[in-house]
Amino acid sequence: MNLEDRIEIFGKILVNHRIKVILGSLLIIFTISFGMKFLETPSGYRGFVEEDFKYYKDVLDLEEKYGNIDVLTFVVKPEKGNIFQKDVLSLIHELTEISWQTPYSSRVSSITNHQYTTVDGDDISISDFVDDVDSLSTNEISNLYNAAVLEDAVVNFVMSESGKIGLVNINLEMPEDIAFQEPISFAWEQKNYFEERYEDIFVGVAGSAQFSHNFQSTSESDASKMYPSFLLLIIILTYILLRSVVASIISLIVIILSILPSLGAAGWLGFEVQPPLITAPIIILTISLTHAIHMLSIGLTNMTEGMTKNDAIIESLKINFIPIFLTSFTTAAGIAGINFGDIPAYSEMANTVVIGAGIGFILSVTMLPAMFSLLPINARKRKSYVLEVLKNLGELIYKFKERFVIVITAICIAVFSLLPNLHFDDYFSTYFDRVPEWLEVKNTVDPEFGSSFYIFSDMQSNEPDGITSPEYLKKLDEFESWLLTQPEVADVSTISDVIKTLHKNMNGGLNEYYAIPDNKALIAQYLLLYEFSVPYGMDLKNQMTADKSDSRILIRTNNSTSMESVAFNARVDEWVNENISPFSTNGVAGIPIMMPQLFVENTRGLVIGLLISFTFIIMVVGISLQSFRYGIISIVPNIIPFILGFGLLTLATDMVTAAHQFAVLISIGLVVDATIHFLSKYKKALAINLPPREAIQYCFRFVGYPIIVASICLFSGFLFLTQSMFYYNFIIGGMCALIIMIALLIDLLLLPALLLIFGKKV
Amino acid sequence: MKKMKFAKIIFIIFALFPFYLSAETAEEQGLRIAKASYENGRGFTDMVSDQLMILIDPKGNEVTREVSGKTLENLDPNDGDKSLTYFKTPKDVEGTVMLSHTHISDDDDQWLYLPALGRVKRISSSNKSGAFMGSEVAFEDFSGTDYRKYEWKFLGEEMENNETFYKLESYPNYENSGYSKRISLIDNLNRTYKVDFYDRKGELLKTLYLEDYVLYKDKIWMANTLKVENIQNKNITIFKWLNRELDVGINKKDFEKSSILRLAD
Repeated sequence: MNLEDRIEIFGKILVNHRIKVILGSLLIIFTISFGMKFLETPSGYRGFVEEDFKYYKDVLDLEEKYGNIDVLTFVVKPEKGNIFQKDVLSLIHELTEISWQTPYSSRVSSITNHQYTTVDGDDISISDFVDDVDSLSTNEISNLYNAAVLEDAVVNFVMSESGKIGLVNINLEMPEDIAFQEPISFAWEQKNYFEERYEDIFVGVAGSAQFSHNFQSTSESDASKMYPSFLLLIIILTYILLRSVVASIISLIVIILSILPSLGAAGWLGFEVQPPLITAPIIILTISLTHAIHMLSIGLTNMTEGMTKNDAIIESLKINFIPIFLTSFTTAAGIAGINFGDIPAYSEMANTVVIGAGIGFILSVTMLPAMFSLLPINARKRKSYVLEVLKNLGELIYKFKERFVIVITAICIAVFSLLPNLHFDDYFSTYFDRVPEWLEVKNTVDPEFGSSFYIFSDMQSNEPDGITSPEYLKKLDEFESWLLTQPEVADVSTISDVIKTLHKNMNGGLNEYYAIPDNKALIAQYLLLYEFSVPYGMDLKNQMTADKSDSRILIRTNNSTSMESVAFNARVDEWVNENISPFSTNGVAGIPIMMPQLFVENTRGLVIGLLISFTFIIMVVGISLQSFRYGIISIVPNIIPFILGFGLLTLATDMVTAAHQFAVLISIGLVVDATIHFLSKYKKALAINLPPREAIQYCFRFVGYPIIVASICLFSGFLFLTQSMFYYNFIIGGMCALIIMIALLIDLLLLPALLLIFGKKV
Repeated sequence: MKKMKFAKIIFIIFALFPFYLSAETAEEQGLRIAKASYENGRGFTDMVSDQLMILIDPKGNEVTREVSGKTLENLDPNDGDKSLTYFKTPKDVEGTVMLSHTHISDDDDQWLYLPALGRVKRISSSNKSGAFMGSEVAFEDFSGTDYRKYEWKFLGEEMENNETFYKLESYPNYENSGYSKRISLIDNLNRTYKVDFYDRKGELLKTLYLEDYVLYKDKIWMANTLKVENIQNKNITIFKWLNRELDVGINKKDFEKSSILRLAD
């Protein structure tokens, strides 16, 4: 008994037990879907890296010593002038006070609560830089700028050098596994309240806490905004393609039912709802839709040709079973390659899609035929202009096959020459550039401060109380000076700044004493004095260890690309190796180091994943066609869309981000589908002894329309992803849509020509 | 008829009398207990002691700092005590002396003698609510033991470790405090057993345990071990008083700014 007969028997069983099949499927589907309640809220940027990722561990090590690195920042910018105006300072003062109420806050710093030291002989007076704003005259207020700009701890940390922007920084001590929801909600309440009260002053929410929260908020807004309209799009698309209300309902039921258990499985597996996972249902839905359309359109066509409903769907099952299986398989194989990358959120997305592709396949060949058999369907005859166009196209290609090949080859070579303009790189800071509020804050902060992000370094003296030694502090100073020469660094703050300021203040406030004293005992005594006079939440615990053996360097970064950051990190390591002895440090750590390193490792993994996936897919195609020659021919139309797609990308950018790489792995398995359909039909046509010209027409007649329909579905689905607020989803959507469209053109224009020239009966 | 009514009123007044007697408000009761507790440790005249401060981080690493101190009780009910602290370790701060004059309503006065600089510096800071020397203890935790710096409220009685304690709530009535409130447990001998400190946003920040109470001069209770557990950052600080002696007759003049230089040597 051959495979087709087996499928026919399988089809008959389905049709005869249709009620049991439907109820059984529903039971299984809802059981698995129950897992959706276990889907986890995203843990922000921390959920974007593996827990044992070296550069994340560096961050954790730092946090264990000096406390959490996460900061929530209010950005205050008056429309006109600098922050030294009565209303602006009042706002900052009030905002600073209320910021202590932020859930999980441990420290609050701003220009108003900056500890300002005034010296009168041996009397040292320490007070808030700005306390009672109302008591200050306009003149006194504007003079404050001159004093503020001289303070190390102020410039670039709580105030921009120009004085145009003030920051209120809130350090957060988040317990493990707690999201930033509470502090962020609190911050946004304050932002709205203060912006309403002070019309001409901008108040924004920034900092790593907001960055991290964006992962959650974009997931939520994407899901709530994209899913309903995507469903509407799919309903319209399905109806246009099938022209049958009942058939559309069947396909909708099947595709939606393939999403629920995929997300359920994701829940059972403990996946997080990071922004990438939001794309999974849309991708699954699109893939399942192409299966449903294949099954239903052939079923409907069979009915218009006079078959009974049951025979029509069994026949459709016979024709489609193997191609749907193969295409599901290649799709899954391509996307599974993402697991070679280093970003868990994408692996989780990929695995959800793989599960979804599997469920979609099963439902398309079980529940869908059963429902087709059960529900009343009337097939209407329709004229197809598409078939007419395809027929003419087939003729055209037959006549000019060489020219088609030459022209397309020429285009490919021309575009190929653009590829060297591209390089692997990205800006992690652009992740949320599509979120208007974030972009506004970023565009406010970045020109004045470099960026919203900090990195840190832990410098160890290797002995208790070692940080008070002049040698240690001078080395720290040397490191700071070197760091300041680096383009990636905006500003640096170290404990040696504190000592220099103290030395100056202990010597009548004279600027010539702004230096590190040569006496270790003196430094230790200064520090003791300092430690006795700090207000709540301003102690040095986040800057030095209790035994005073190690101290932390705080570095505000400029926006850099991943490759620049990685190179910077390497230069730091080199400098440290050569210069830091007899002290030691592990170099720098923080979000602007971790995310770029993640990009590099991820790229390395994805390249391997792509090679493996691609080889695997080509092997599957070759085996399914049972021909080496056809396997080789299939490579051409599957590679060209990527060459052309990335060639066209050069018109927009020169960076191939991780998102572009993911797009390749997601689309590779989909692009190959059309080729499988086309090649298998061509082979079959030759096998029944059709001459090449007729064989091409045969292909166009039988698979031309389904290929176009499937590509349109996929194109629409991916194009829809460009609505996402998460930049990577936007890129993946756009890139996949582009590649799929090019692939369609190549399959219709180049592949037939290639087959006419190189295809042989085997 | 009239007489009946009058008798009724009299009856009601008498019936309610016991309530009048115990009608101390929660605030008054809280203040009374707090005052009794405070006065439990008063009357020492002056005091000398050695102290150990042990800092323990969440990993269990320990750092020990040694100081010795002298305190002069201020009998003026409207002013605070005076104290001298001599720093012994780490070696680099040996010889550093701090003189504090605490005040009930004003900011404290503080002078610090730095031997390496050879000068006495007067530090005035309106806000010293930060934890000092890497510990979990802030200045206000010490200078704030005076009951008059707080508003009090009696919350009821509470059982802990098979013992009944008075539970008091107190709110600082001075500016710049790091705390929104404190909740203290005080035993039936009016000794403070435990204090929970709530940070500015009302979350539990740390818990202070007072241990090793010793009765001095048959009337003064003093805890010789203070243990502070920070709930938020999981650090622990332990203070131990060694060789505490009361009423040793220290010269009052030692507690003047002009004496620091002399005493430092």
